[in-house]
Amino acid sequence: MPFTARDLRYQPEQSYPLLYAYLHRNAQRFLGSLKYDAFEVDTVIGHVVEQLVRLGLFGGGDRTPLSALDRLTDAQFYAFLSRSVRNKAIDRLRKRRLHLNTASELEFPDAEGGEEDPLEGAVESIWGETPFATPEELTLHLVSQNDLRQVLKHCIAALQAAPNQLQAVLVELHDLGADELLETLNSELHLSNTSSIEHNPHMSQHKDHAHRKLRLCLQQQSSNLTVAVALRLTECTELRTRATGTNDYTVEIATLVEEDVKEEEVRAGLKELAAEGLLHWNGEDVVHLTADQRKRLARFYRDE
Amino acid sequence: MSDAIRFGGSDEPREENVRLARWLQQITHITPHEKKSLPLSGESEHQLELVLDSDYHLRFYQQLPDFVMALLTEGKQASIRYAPLLYHLAGCQECHRGYLDLYDAMREALYPQSARPLLGQGTRTLEATPQRMLGHLCQTLISQAEAVLRQARRDHTDGEVAARALLQLALHISARINQGNVRRYALHDLVRVATLSDGPEPPKEEDPQVYTYTPALAGAGARRGKKVVRRADMLTRSATGHELPIIHLQARSVMGTITQQGEMLELHLQDLDPALRGQFVVVSVPLGSLIEPIRWIGGNPRAIRSATVVDNTGALTIPLGQTELRLENMEDRNLLEAMFLLLEVRSAEEQKRAS
Repeated sequence: MPFTARDLRYQPEQSYPLLYAYLHRNAQRFLGSLKYDAFEVDTVIGHVVEQLVRLGLFGGGDRTPLSALDRLTDAQFYAFLSRSVRNKAIDRLRKRRLHLNTASELEFPDAEGGEEDPLEGAVESIWGETPFATPEELTLHLVSQNDLRQVLKHCIAALQAAPNQLQAVLVELHDLGADELLETLNSELHLSNTSSIEHNPHMSQHKDHAHRKLRLCLQQQSSNLTVAVALRLTECTELRTRATGTNDYTVEIATLVEEDVKEEEVRAGLKELAAEGLLHWNGEDVVHLTADQRKRLARFYRDE
Repeated sequence: MSDAIRFGGSDEPREENVRLARWLQQITHITPHEKKSLPLSGESEHQLELVLDSDYHLRFYQQLPDFVMALLTEGKQASIRYAPLLYHLAGCQECHRGYLDLYDAMREALYPQSARPLLGQGTRTLEATPQRMLGHLCQTLISQAEAVLRQARRDHTDGEVAARALLQLALHISARINQGNVRRYALHDLVRVATLSDGPEPPKEEDPQVYTYTPALAGAGARRGKKVVRRADMLTRSATGHELPIIHLQARSVMGTITQQGEMLELHLQDLDPALRGQFVVVSVPLGSLIEPIRWIGGNPRAIRSATVVDNTGALTIPLGQTELRLENMEDRNLLEAMFLLLEVRSAEEQKRAS
């Protein structure tokens, strides 16, 4: 009987030998001239097994959440494993190449059954480039994509609690020439022109602290949630709320809930926005926004 | 504001964004930690190095399959839901490499470019699997248990159940390893990880009234800078060459043994410190509650009180508990030996005072 991803999750002891046998066949297939090197074969297998353990699949039972890997069909899961083995095998071959000297050693004379040189096959897919293939591409996306950039802005604004650290970051942005971002921050945080800020003698120290805080904030789900709820508030007030005679806006929490943003997450985001003084909310089912508050949210989070 | 960049399109990124991106990269950068060296030296043929350490970024790494699937099915728009992960990937080489691996393999799974591989077939058993690979699996599981505990500590959640399950699995698999040196490598971190959430440090070896026993395996003494003893599997061979049903333990230069009478496991101690003579002792088996094949005397493997006092030669026999496992059976014996990787003996009086 073939094993499944479910077997690896719930019956790891029984399915490990089958997994090993399957990976072994593939590792030998992709390792070319190293296919009889037991250590290399086991290293490739070990890397794939470790990946399955680290991802929480192998032996994860009900203790780790199911992921997209659990939802693959059996055929897709085998294709996934086979490709993983191929990639690890290519890594090993490349590593070995670094240690080889002569061109003859670089050939794969015993490529079996017309099997291609795995390194030759390691070319770009017909599906095009991998998104975010480099950290550079990724960061460019982060600062260019509006919703993602809002998280950065939110986290910089959160430095208000430590004015010296905020100042250090604003000076950096000024020196970088990030004028557009700086302008929004200055106007929202009611700051003076950054170019006139005197350099603090402990700037370097404040900068380090600020960077650490920023990194933490950017990687917190709560930051993303706060921004998502803020954006949702501005969208919903545009689309669904009724203006009262006093120009107030209201929106029910249920309206803010989305497929991937649950009610408790909406409430957590609202709590955070209230703590930041961007709205008044004490756990009610309906959120009230004054015209000024709505304008402020839209200006800051939607760059209106 | 619309996206200033269209990947794969003709639009050049704005200069301001490029500068901002460089700055962001600097902020999010996580210095890759140095890989811990292999725990034991001179046995490389038995060891496969782990790719990740237990301080890998579990919280982000485990989101990668769902993130990749979202990218493959919905495109880059899906990235918004994964903002924290993206900000992490921007600065973490290790996780970014993991992302690239997974993206490629999952893309092949969803949109195959080559012929579908055959489904796995076969009737392999753990016994037929190379011992080195079983050792590697144990080490991976133990390292993962440590990662789970570390993450739980950071998140102020309880990772005990998940970590315990991984350690139990490692223990069961290690019982199938018959080569002593491979098993030793496989379980090298077990005690440390299993006792991570215990709090108090294990007793210091310098205390003459506290004995910390470990199996008398090759090199065990040398690692502590003490006397090197012979291999346990050599020690337990009888004149006929058959395995004797004994587990040998060693604390400093003092030896102990565990034998079995019927279902009862008995601990035999000798040459205990003169200060302990005439006293009751308490035995603690920290890994005793990890798996439960033993009905411990008193019900708590961390506090097994001797029924008699240490005699005037420093010897004592203490029944530990009953089990269906048989020391004559190699697999059972391996499991028991793993459970007794650490055994502490101290004066009952001192234990009482300490608690």
